[in-house]
Amino acid sequence: MSSTSPTTTGAKPALTTIDSNRIFSLDVLRGVAVLGILIISIWEFGGFIANEQTFYRQGTHSGGNYKLLTVVSILFEGKMRALFALLFGAGIILFLQKKDHPSTASTADLYIRRNMWLIFFGVFNAFVLLWPGDILFHLGILGILLFAFQRMSSRGLLIAAIICTLIYCGKNYWNYADDKKAYGKYKAVLKVEEQFKKDSTDKAKTDSIAKAKDSIAGKAITPVITDTTSKKIGKDSTDKKKDTLTKKQAGEKSAWEGMAKRAKYDSTATENEYKSMRASYGKLWNYLMGRSQGKEASWFYRLGIWDLASMMFLGMALLGWGFFTNRFSAQKYLLIAVLTMALGFFLAWLRVDLLNTKIVDYAKYIDKKPIPFNQFVPIERFLLATGYASLIMLLLRTKFLNWLWQALAAVGRLAFTNYIMQSLICTFFFYGYGFGFFGRLSQLELYLFVIEIWVIQTVFSIFWLRYYSMGPLEWLWRCLVYRKWLPIKLKQDETAIA
Amino acid sequence: MDQHNSANNPQSIAVPLEGGGTGHINTGAKPVDSGDRIRSIDAIRGVALLGILMMNIPGFGINWNFWHGMLTGPKTGADYYTFATVFTLFEGTMRGLFSMLFGAGMVLFMQNKESMPGGPTVAEYYYRRLLWLVLFGLFNAYILLWTGDILFFYGMLGMLLFPFRKFKPKWLIIIGLACMSITLLKGQLGWNELREQRKNYNEAKAAEKEKKTLTPEQQGAIAAWTEMEKNRKPDSTYYNPNLRIRQQGTYGKIFNHFIPMNAGGETWWLYHGAWDMLTMMFIGMGLYLLGFFSNKLRTSTYLMWLLIGYGLGIPIAWSYVEAMFASTKDFSGYVDSMRVSHEMLEEFRRLLLTIGHASLVMLVFRSRIVPWLMRALANVGQMAFTNYLMQSIICTFYFHGYGFGNYDKLRFHQLYYVVGSVWLFQLIVSSIWLRYFRFGPFEWLWRSLTYWKRQPMKK
Repeated sequence: MSSTSPTTTGAKPALTTIDSNRIFSLDVLRGVAVLGILIISIWEFGGFIANEQTFYRQGTHSGGNYKLLTVVSILFEGKMRALFALLFGAGIILFLQKKDHPSTASTADLYIRRNMWLIFFGVFNAFVLLWPGDILFHLGILGILLFAFQRMSSRGLLIAAIICTLIYCGKNYWNYADDKKAYGKYKAVLKVEEQFKKDSTDKAKTDSIAKAKDSIAGKAITPVITDTTSKKIGKDSTDKKKDTLTKKQAGEKSAWEGMAKRAKYDSTATENEYKSMRASYGKLWNYLMGRSQGKEASWFYRLGIWDLASMMFLGMALLGWGFFTNRFSAQKYLLIAVLTMALGFFLAWLRVDLLNTKIVDYAKYIDKKPIPFNQFVPIERFLLATGYASLIMLLLRTKFLNWLWQALAAVGRLAFTNYIMQSLICTFFFYGYGFGFFGRLSQLELYLFVIEIWVIQTVFSIFWLRYYSMGPLEWLWRCLVYRKWLPIKLKQDETAIA
Repeated sequence: MDQHNSANNPQSIAVPLEGGGTGHINTGAKPVDSGDRIRSIDAIRGVALLGILMMNIPGFGINWNFWHGMLTGPKTGADYYTFATVFTLFEGTMRGLFSMLFGAGMVLFMQNKESMPGGPTVAEYYYRRLLWLVLFGLFNAYILLWTGDILFFYGMLGMLLFPFRKFKPKWLIIIGLACMSITLLKGQLGWNELREQRKNYNEAKAAEKEKKTLTPEQQGAIAAWTEMEKNRKPDSTYYNPNLRIRQQGTYGKIFNHFIPMNAGGETWWLYHGAWDMLTMMFIGMGLYLLGFFSNKLRTSTYLMWLLIGYGLGIPIAWSYVEAMFASTKDFSGYVDSMRVSHEMLEEFRRLLLTIGHASLVMLVFRSRIVPWLMRALANVGQMAFTNYLMQSIICTFYFHGYGFGNYDKLRFHQLYYVVGSVWLFQLIVSSIWLRYFRFGPFEWLWRSLTYWKRQPMKK
């Protein structure tokens, strides 16, 4: 799983031919990814939060809002982040293979420094710009972790990517299995209660059940599970004199009820979220602190590492095979695009369908469906990110829509700047210390806003590159890595472009 | 027996060195040679490795409710004296020493290697090595079932040290202290928040006394603090299952029981505890480059650091232990009275005592009063990785239900009989093993995996 033997390292012709000039197709794809990522992150920026999505999904599954949500979810959700990570992975190899770094430090030093600065920028994005959705932090850490895999063959890297994807699938199932277990316990408790009802012949017994129910209602928030009283449920109902639920049973009942409740739409939760997000900078800083830390710590540990590492491995493998440098035949790109997209869209449809079941009837979803709605999400995004990349590679060959690709390449060359700029614009537009539009735009209006940002970023990128060889933040990043002031004005130094 | 032998024939003991060659230990009063210098690091590592078990043994063998009982109980009896001694002198310091030596070892690893042209660079081996360490850490936590594993964190954090290896010692120590101030800052911010909570509670309570109707915020403040106090009390619904599962559970049961604990612990410590470990690693790198661990400083310097470390560290440590008692008995009162928590002293205490311990070992090492012991410790230190994992294997098997099931059956001071036995075992086995083999078994495995090639094992 780790490293290849040193002897296989010589046989890597695909990499040695890559020179330091920019790879146009990579820039285009980066542009697509960085603009595309906003399609989904606008949900969190603008207040179209999961709870609101639930609202449309638990309805009749018709109407413009539901349709738009479904189409966006199938086409883009998770895929753009995947593409971003894929390109970051390809960038790892490019950086490590580059020979003309403007520094005397070893490539390893430069590479690790570069990623450590990225981690720092990620922390800045999360805790200063207040964007909990940041992934630069995670990419920086994974960049360091994956350093040791630079000599692995493309085949080995693909296997690593698949292993990460499968682990991710397994984790999704595992969480679901826990819910299933909780539901099983809940049903067992219900059976015990049924038994109590049947057994109750005198009034005292019914009273005690009512009492037990009261105590359950009171403890709904903090389920208390005691072990000292735990016995086999069947034994309890026959041996015990008192026909009340044990603390453990009550806890199991309320645990499931809480889960089922959380799966439902809750209008007060939305209201509270709106109120919190329309606060001052200081208040928001406190409010979002926990969320950002959760994203950087526990999300990363549980899922994020597999989410991003799988795509980065794939990106490294694809670069080695020459996928981004037009090494494949047109038929091959077409074949990859068609196959991955066919299967990918099917899995995406399956996910949406299962998710709808989950929201409409959580118990049925847990009880009857053999897999969780997100079971194949890792595969879905793996396939679709690859498919989109293939499709774009194919279109690039045809020279069709050349102006569009030129524009996207400009956006892609400023990917880092544009990514941070999105945080700046969106937090200021939506958060309380700015214009406070959080939750005030409809889904459709959010997308009009996204298109405006796209136009602004594209125009900005094209104009910037008329005068400068790289984006402002790209320049800053490089200066920090190389520990010197690099030229940024165009025509002064052309090698700095890479 | 082996130890006896080696004590009698010190001149002829061939010692495998870190770099793979062999050197000879001289017990005569000769100037420090290269073999000797590296042995001093091994000896300190041996001390840290054995010492770490003193701090880990309660985690292996005693149930969680013990602490509350200890800290509210009478300050007398064997348990109390053991507790007071161990916590005053050693708490956190062996881990600190281990972290320092890890930082030092990182520089050592990079210094010793030259890369072959065209082949993987030293940096690549360094990162492969750490990636394997991360996996060994996961293995230690999830498979050997030791929730207190540190290898995972060392592997991850070691990856951040690489770009700093060529920094001047002075800067490394400054960076270490900067990391320490982040720990302090985070600690104080947390403490301020707690005091704020407490203040709100006090105000709400005062209003309640005056029979004013409480605002929802005030009601919330009272509820929040009451809840917080409740959570600090030992909770039988929490520790009873832990006791039952660990004392009687099968491997599968304990495995499942530990999954959330391991996942939560690794997440929390890596994210929030990183600064604490990085502090010691950076200072360790700096001290190594200054020659501290390689026996290069003057005796008077070591003596000075011994006096500073112990002179300041022990009184602070004592007040810290006293504060543990005070804050457990009456937490609210403690929060009311302390503007700055004793936790803030913790970092200074650890650093001072760790340096004190290291100085003491170096002084003993160069005084050559107990050469046989130093040699045995160096052997333990040379097999530190193996011995660390061995402690997990031995202790989990001794305490857990699938082994001897002694969990929570010993009294606190009796745990240290187990520690003593493990020490003796590891001192003897390490010395015997290294007579026949070049590395400890897990060191060998780790090296082979890092270089992806079977390494020679036999001498």
